[in-house]
Amino acid sequence: MTLRFQRLLIILISIIMILGAVLLILYNARENISYFYTPSELLESNIDKNKQVRIGGFVEKNTFIKVSAGSFKFRITDNIKSIDVTYNGILPDLFREGQGAVIEGNMIGQNSFKANNIFAKHDENYMPASIKDDLENKGYWNKNYK
Amino acid sequence: MSSLIGFLSLIAATGINFVLLSSKIFINFNINKYNTLVRFSSILTFISFFSLMYAYITSDFSNFNVFQNSHTDKPLIYKISGTWGNHEGSMLLWISILSIYGFFFSFTKKIDIELKKLTLLIQSFLHLLFSFFIIFTSNPFLINSVVVTEGLGLNPILQDPGLAIHPPLLYAGYVGYSIIFSLAIASLLNKNNNEEWLYIAKKWSLVSWTCLTGGIALGSYWAYYELGWGGWWFWDPVENISLMPWIAGLALVHSLLMIRGEQVLKRWIIFLSILCFSLSIFGTFLVRSGILTSVHSFAADASRGLFILLIFFIITGFGFLVFLLKKPETSKPITLLFINKFSALIFNNILMIIATLTVLLGTIYPIIVEVLTNKRISVGAPYFNSTVIPIMIPGFLLMSIAPILSWQTNKIRSARNYVIFFILISLIIVIQSYFSKFNTWGIVGLILGSWIIFASLFAVLTSYKLNFNFRFFQKVNPHIAHIGVGIAIVGITFSSVFKNEFTYNIVEGENFKINNTDIVFDKIETTNEKNFQSLRANFLISKNKKVIGNVKAGKNYYPVSKMITTEAGIFHEWFRDVYFILGEQKDNEWLVKVHVNPFVSFIWLGVIIMVYSGLIGVSRR
Repeated sequence: MTLRFQRLLIILISIIMILGAVLLILYNARENISYFYTPSELLESNIDKNKQVRIGGFVEKNTFIKVSAGSFKFRITDNIKSIDVTYNGILPDLFREGQGAVIEGNMIGQNSFKANNIFAKHDENYMPASIKDDLENKGYWNKNYK
Repeated sequence: MSSLIGFLSLIAATGINFVLLSSKIFINFNINKYNTLVRFSSILTFISFFSLMYAYITSDFSNFNVFQNSHTDKPLIYKISGTWGNHEGSMLLWISILSIYGFFFSFTKKIDIELKKLTLLIQSFLHLLFSFFIIFTSNPFLINSVVVTEGLGLNPILQDPGLAIHPPLLYAGYVGYSIIFSLAIASLLNKNNNEEWLYIAKKWSLVSWTCLTGGIALGSYWAYYELGWGGWWFWDPVENISLMPWIAGLALVHSLLMIRGEQVLKRWIIFLSILCFSLSIFGTFLVRSGILTSVHSFAADASRGLFILLIFFIITGFGFLVFLLKKPETSKPITLLFINKFSALIFNNILMIIATLTVLLGTIYPIIVEVLTNKRISVGAPYFNSTVIPIMIPGFLLMSIAPILSWQTNKIRSARNYVIFFILISLIIVIQSYFSKFNTWGIVGLILGSWIIFASLFAVLTSYKLNFNFRFFQKVNPHIAHIGVGIAIVGITFSSVFKNEFTYNIVEGENFKINNTDIVFDKIETTNEKNFQSLRANFLISKNKKVIGNVKAGKNYYPVSKMITTEAGIFHEWFRDVYFILGEQKDNEWLVKVHVNPFVSFIWLGVIIMVYSGLIGVSRR
């Protein structure tokens, strides 16, 4: 094999590998990306019920109910609209009424949502970046949040 | 007082670097002056860092940073680690580590003097940029305007020995790439060049890669036992950010191995050096700017993000500009032979860069989508698992054949034995997994992992005389590293494919059974510790009616910050971890979640082997 031929071969193989990677990325990007909504956005969109989405918002005050040691109900809100959430599992340490939370799961009814995951934040003053802008625009911004 | 000393010495260090940089234009200092100035500025930076640490240790709340992040009740170790447990302090740590590298680099002897001068210049340019950043946007030495006697406390979740050393190690990795960056740029700018700098770069790249490996592993281990999610890697943006320079650095370490094969792709090595450091700064920018929606949230500030973005563009722009304008003189012509170590290394490099780009794309894709369409998305673990892993698999295949390839010729050593051996191992594994739980990914991972382990062992046994002295360990070091990777692959595969989760609603005294293990929920205990109250559930674990151990899982309540942290309890065995999390309580019933994670210990073992061989690699010429 001449040097030139080998170089060509290497370039060809790299291109094939890159193409393979691109195909993988494109294929997986369709399947494995979840959209992020605020409660009012989610209620306005006609999203497929089986599709996994994430909601960012507050846990509405005085709505948290402990059904049993491992199952909970609460409402998540963006101060405009709110959604009933049911969750089975362990709550993150920083989960509290009035605090920001990010919830992953899917809609199971007109106004109810089944959460599979509730994400913990390391910082108690943390607010999901997604609803930070909305809150700021609507004047609900609390200075304590970072 | 200590704050004043700290601030003044940081300013003085910055001044010295400024003098050094301007000296290039006005007077040409000789190398001794360079060395002295660099060491002097490094020492001043250390003084600055240690005076902040002193303020933390003595709980000097006249310093605003200490007031915000410390508390007199904390144990000493967390007072020390509190120094870098916040944004300002961590940036000071960053620059101190930059100084440590500069300090030690100034002692390098076998190097062209002009090259060394240039490298030190670029290094002090970096120091200057980051000290401006600290002084103007994140000064840790601000004076507290109110007189207080107590601080606000460090986030309890960070009060953990693993996390106390995780940031310094991680930064040692990130910042170590700065030396390689400076060396690479200096080698482009310097006219009379030999290949000596490649050997120096090889050492430093191993140092920083080893530190990065240790840092990432510690962070991952911390997440495993502290966050209580039962997993050790979540493909969270903050984790991906540390993974990118790690993979790129791995590519760099491997391409620097080519020096041994005497065919050097200089241009490629320089490209990788610039890429590694750029990714490190880019990571800092993404973490500190708060653009990313991450579960590891760090308090963020837009102006700081912009400043780091500016630094990123200056450094990366400068780096790649020099790279494009100045071509390294072509080194020895490359004679590829195709089926040899050299071409294997080239393919492995291409694969690693593709993998890095895939992670990068997945990490910044949400930002791109938000800017373009105003929609917010999140790219989660499934995306990364199903793109990055398939991309890496050919690389692992290459790793398993690499030991039989030679550097110079197309010959494959003892190929027949290898093939027979491989077929044998694969057969055993396939048959074994057919009779236990069958899972495609499980089989692929196990076969690849054990191929790599056995191929490396085989190479050690057949190509070297067994001889247990230090030189022997230096010689077989690359194989040892690969054995570590193989072990880690087996651990990763098993712990992610065959993990199990169980949930119980039980009261004290009840028991449950997992596989052949009996577990009794013994009792709940509460105690008062120095700065927290703890609540622990005691679980007794027994096999065949014999108690083999107990595990405590529960929660801590930190009154200072009014925070609760989950403390998972882990029962370690060689072949599995039984991982307990105590959930909520209703009446006297408790929610208990148990994860059974097989082979997790193999991951840490693999990492330890990799770090060990990184250290041995540094000692090798």
